[in-house]
Amino acid sequence: MADEPLSGETAGETVLGPTSAPDDVLRIEHIAKSFGPITALRDVNLHLRKGEVLGLLGDNGAGKSTLVKIICGFHKQDSGTMWLKGEPYAPKSVDDARAHGIDTVYQDLALVDQLTVYHNLFLRRERVFKPIPFLNNVLMRRQARTALDEIGINIPRLDVPVARLSGGQRQAIAVARTVSSDADVLLLDEPLAAMGAKEGASILDVIARLKEEGNVSIIMILHNYVHVFQACDRVSLIQDGLIALDKPTSETSVEELNEIVVEEYRRARLAAQAGNGGSPGNGAGATAEGAAAKPDASQ
Amino acid sequence: MAATPEVKPAPTSPRRGPESGRALGAGAVKLVRSFLTLREGSIVVVTLVTFAYFAISANNFVQGNTFKSLLPYFAPLAIIAAGEVFVMILGEIDLSVGAVYLFTPFMFHVFHHLGLGLYPSLILAVLVAMGCGAVNGFFVAWVGIASFVATLGMLFTLDGLSLIISHSTPVQVPGTGIGKITNFAQVFGGGTYSELIWALAFVVVLQLVLSFTRWGLYTVSTGGNRLGAAEAGIRTRMIIMRNFILAAGLAGFTGILEVVRTTSATPDPSGSNTLLLQVVAAAIIGGTLMTGGDGTIVGALIGALFLGILTEGLTIKGVNANYLNLYLGIAILIAMTLNVVVRRVRTGSGRG
Repeated sequence: MADEPLSGETAGETVLGPTSAPDDVLRIEHIAKSFGPITALRDVNLHLRKGEVLGLLGDNGAGKSTLVKIICGFHKQDSGTMWLKGEPYAPKSVDDARAHGIDTVYQDLALVDQLTVYHNLFLRRERVFKPIPFLNNVLMRRQARTALDEIGINIPRLDVPVARLSGGQRQAIAVARTVSSDADVLLLDEPLAAMGAKEGASILDVIARLKEEGNVSIIMILHNYVHVFQACDRVSLIQDGLIALDKPTSETSVEELNEIVVEEYRRARLAAQAGNGGSPGNGAGATAEGAAAKPDASQ
Repeated sequence: MAATPEVKPAPTSPRRGPESGRALGAGAVKLVRSFLTLREGSIVVVTLVTFAYFAISANNFVQGNTFKSLLPYFAPLAIIAAGEVFVMILGEIDLSVGAVYLFTPFMFHVFHHLGLGLYPSLILAVLVAMGCGAVNGFFVAWVGIASFVATLGMLFTLDGLSLIISHSTPVQVPGTGIGKITNFAQVFGGGTYSELIWALAFVVVLQLVLSFTRWGLYTVSTGGNRLGAAEAGIRTRMIIMRNFILAAGLAGFTGILEVVRTTSATPDPSGSNTLLLQVVAAAIIGGTLMTGGDGTIVGALIGALFLGILTEGLTIKGVNANYLNLYLGIAILIAMTLNVVVRRVRTGSGRG
């Protein structure tokens, strides 16, 4: 809280500037979030236009996943406000966010190993029979097959526990779960991380198709810059719990993004070295740690 | 009419086989299949072998009386174990079911003493039991105490309360009398097959709940991946709460069945805590994991039956009472080893 005026200054140039438009589906203003002594987000401003694919970038620990978890109702922000389709938006739970049309692929996928493929696909959206609410497994299995066919992922058997599937297949199930929901704002936290080239391409195809249809807006956390320039209309780069860059992909380049990240890394390393000044036995490991703990180091 | 229908199944590729339409009876097939999964299969085999051994070696084992004297041992175990399985699938454990089982009959007695009718007293007593479960659930889900510790606290609390309320003397159970069996007693434990019928009813209903409802699905999800389940929008704390309430409610109800059968309630914490360990043993032998994410009510029933047959068989064979627990312990270890080996073969993982 004490550093709010300071961060407001830093973020001055990115506070809903000219890139903000009245047709924003989602607007996020001055979001801050701490976990005990760790400051994950300091002052984040973000907006998402209808039908847009926004790439969210940032180093490990920059706060990307935290931001996604705030938008999807899993965490509550310490301060700041959100607007969804022009209305104030304060989700009380993941279910509440989903009722507002926001669905998420989590970085850890949120799959239950012991459940079958189709039970995972329909977790929290189960199809049940009418008077007695028994699970309609037959219907779920059929619809799961359709959903997976649509995104072009081949999983031979849907009645096996997902524990038996490969990392890419598991990720495909998590993506299919979100894409096949009725949501019109999708949050994808590293949807391609565990995927092979072929699976990754088919997921990107799905996203391209969704973009073409123009009904959904997507925020996607990515690490691979090639994917960013292939799939996203605009990029936002989070650094130190702040948005350090917000540009359409056509106006930036891999070089510019790299430059920002590397510059930040150098700065953090210098800060860490200064902080650990001269104490012996601080090898490369300690430096890397210092870089990860940069929010503390900079205060 | 008879000429055309046989065309469809043949051309579908074998890989798509399990997916192809078989809407009707799919639920029944699934039920049969889950009945015959190897996990439960192994304990079924172990139980049958045990039964056959006693049938051959003890010449008076296979008769109606054995079965009747087996019932009061295994039926209560099966009901309480069904509730325990719901808690164990969460990856938690409820150590207080024995104490709730001991305590609830005294509440029944107290409520009846206050002038309430038999049925209101029964319902209130079971509600008190469920309240104990709710307290367990609250400490585990919201306060964040390990279930082992939280329910251990409940165990001693209720053991103590039972002794205090009863002044550590046995009480005559309302609705029962020596030499006559009332309608109430006939239904709630006094009738020869009363407990068996309750046990079977609970096992069937709860297995259906576990396998075919959202509650069951969310229970497995919470036990399998609690964070993931929460991220998917499941209110995991409510599920934990609900399952602890279920376990305690069943234990309390069983306690009343048992004291109605024996017509008197004795404040004997050591007996009820032995029952607790047998309940956990029945659940684990039946194939429920202590680590959560997997479990079976039917398996727990068979586990209880196995323990019943073993105890009864050893008794009928005239085994020295001192050896009874020794054999029981060894048999449990053997049965569990079999289960683990079978599971490893089935899932093909070294992790178990």
